Amino acid sequence: MHSSALQPAVQSAVQPVGQPVGQPVGQPAAGSAAESEGGTPALRTHQLAKTYALGFFRKKVRAIRDVSLRVERGEIFGLLGPNGAGKTTTLKVLMGLVRPTSGEAEVLGRPVGDLVAKGRLGYLPESPYFYDYLTGRELLVFVAELFGLPRRESRRRADALLEQVGLQRAAQLALRRYSKGMLQRVGLAQALINDPELVVLDEPLSGLDPIGRKQIRELIAQLGARGKTVVFSSHILSDVELLAQRAAILVGGRTVDSGALDHLVQARILSTEVLIDRPAPVLLQALAGGAYAAEAVGETVRVVVPEGEDVGRLVDLVRRHGGALLALTPRRESLEDVVVRRATDDNGAGAAAPLPARDAQPMGA
Amino acid sequence: MMKTPAIALNTFREAIRNKVLYSLLFFAVVVIVASLAFGALSVHEEVRLTTDLGFAGMSAFLVLIATFLGVNLVYKELERKTVYTLLPKPIHRYQFVLGKFFGLALTLLVLLALMCGVLLLVLHLQGAALEPALAMLVALIFLEVLVVTAVAVFFSSFSTPLLSGLFTVGVFLLGRSVPDIRAVAAKLDQPGLPLLLRGVARVVPNLRYFYVTGAEIDGQQVAISGTFVDWGYVGLASGYAALYLAVVLLLAMALFSRRDLI
Repeated sequence: MHSSALQPAVQSAVQPVGQPVGQPVGQPAAGSAAESEGGTPALRTHQLAKTYALGFFRKKVRAIRDVSLRVERGEIFGLLGPNGAGKTTTLKVLMGLVRPTSGEAEVLGRPVGDLVAKGRLGYLPESPYFYDYLTGRELLVFVAELFGLPRRESRRRADALLEQVGLQRAAQLALRRYSKGMLQRVGLAQALINDPELVVLDEPLSGLDPIGRKQIRELIAQLGARGKTVVFSSHILSDVELLAQRAAILVGGRTVDSGALDHLVQARILSTEVLIDRPAPVLLQALAGGAYAAEAVGETVRVVVPEGEDVGRLVDLVRRHGGALLALTPRRESLEDVVVRRATDDNGAGAAAPLPARDAQPMGA
Repeated sequence: MMKTPAIALNTFREAIRNKVLYSLLFFAVVVIVASLAFGALSVHEEVRLTTDLGFAGMSAFLVLIATFLGVNLVYKELERKTVYTLLPKPIHRYQFVLGKFFGLALTLLVLLALMCGVLLLVLHLQGAALEPALAMLVALIFLEVLVVTAVAVFFSSFSTPLLSGLFTVGVFLLGRSVPDIRAVAAKLDQPGLPLLLRGVARVVPNLRYFYVTGAEIDGQQVAISGTFVDWGYVGLASGYAALYLAVVLLLAMALFSRRDLI
């Protein structure tokens, strides 16, 4: 892994050729389509819905029913939700692989499927499959040619990207011999071949071992540091917490919440944990009579002050009766709590029930 | 517009690397063994037999390979999910279908050329004088193979390989029988059925334009080695093939463009 080499390698490797690929965010080339799109979000959907008609009897399956997203340029955005929430379908609609049943969707200020937008976009599908008879290098050269790049330039970019993702030694190896982690990395490389301004990654971290996860996480973070817009889906909350600045939560085919991560997870302090070392017997009595849940761990007592209660009162008690205040830790709602709560709310409300007004708003609106 | 050729070359590369050319070995063995066997049975007719059997065999082989590869062409991309990587790139869906078709056409052309090489070598060893008319024959075989490929790609743009294969074989058999279907329709007295038969004869490609063995010309049964076609005929047949290809491929592209790639 040559993560430190990423930035200079890309900058030297990838210059826009022939078409408006790879323009730095916020610096659109004169006369290009990007000029009029400076203010538009990188991705936008409004009340997007997709119902599949599957099988011989055209059985209807609602994959997504109301997805409203707004991803600003230059941010790392997480699309979070349990399995089957509609993350992949949403991304497939945005990539033009699936036609929406209703709703609006825009990519880089242009309608889905627009070739100019596609030229400035990189996409890594979920559990990517590539032509396994090709070598890693051949795949990248082939993909580069689909962007209309000349063969020489294609080869140059392929080599530079293989080095960035740490696959230069496997460049001549057929993809059928690649491990899952290597496939994910070559997948990321093919998504970056056009130096895209928007990179969309579907479950980029799933199925990888800890080292593989770390490598891909670093690559995503580096893309963000270079000003790229990155949208990735995940059902693993810690990934989103680690990488994303903003996120949307999808449950049952709907965006149930979206916004900055601190908005999503830090809005509520569920409880405050107070650790008291060697509390005086009087204090223990006072605690036993009070409304707090307390448990002794050796010589230390752990008290949980529930949401809405004044922690200051407990601190006063400790000061008054004797004992050392070891720690005072607010337990904030984690992203996991949010997803579980939202999933439970959603199930409780019934699938067809209208969304609360806050949820129904498009993101960032 | 290098995108369609890039997809075509990739399709060709896939066929070659997946050992499609092994079928050539099979063809060579069959041709050589058959020509030796029949040659021994037919005194002074070795060359004629080798030519007839060889070209008929080549045609059958190529149609079979075209059907098999054609029905899997689009389906395999969907099944292996490689299409998810490809289509978000700045290409139109029709370019994808065209690229796949041309890639397969190139594969079949190379196979045809190699099979011709084998056949001509056997003929040469039998002491045959190679007639220029054989080139016309080869051109007609290739045109028929192209039409069958397009039909296979058309079905595979919306159906499974098994069904597409059955449909394609069906169209092929009907296509080779168009004059017979018309003849039956002309002889039938009842209403309805002749209309249906004429409809079928109109929709399926008339492959008899390309496969002239056994056709009657001026009341004479002609053999494949005869010099009864000229380049003008091949030109007309090419025009017909081009028209049929265009219609079928346009339909395939339209169907594939509307398809959800789940």
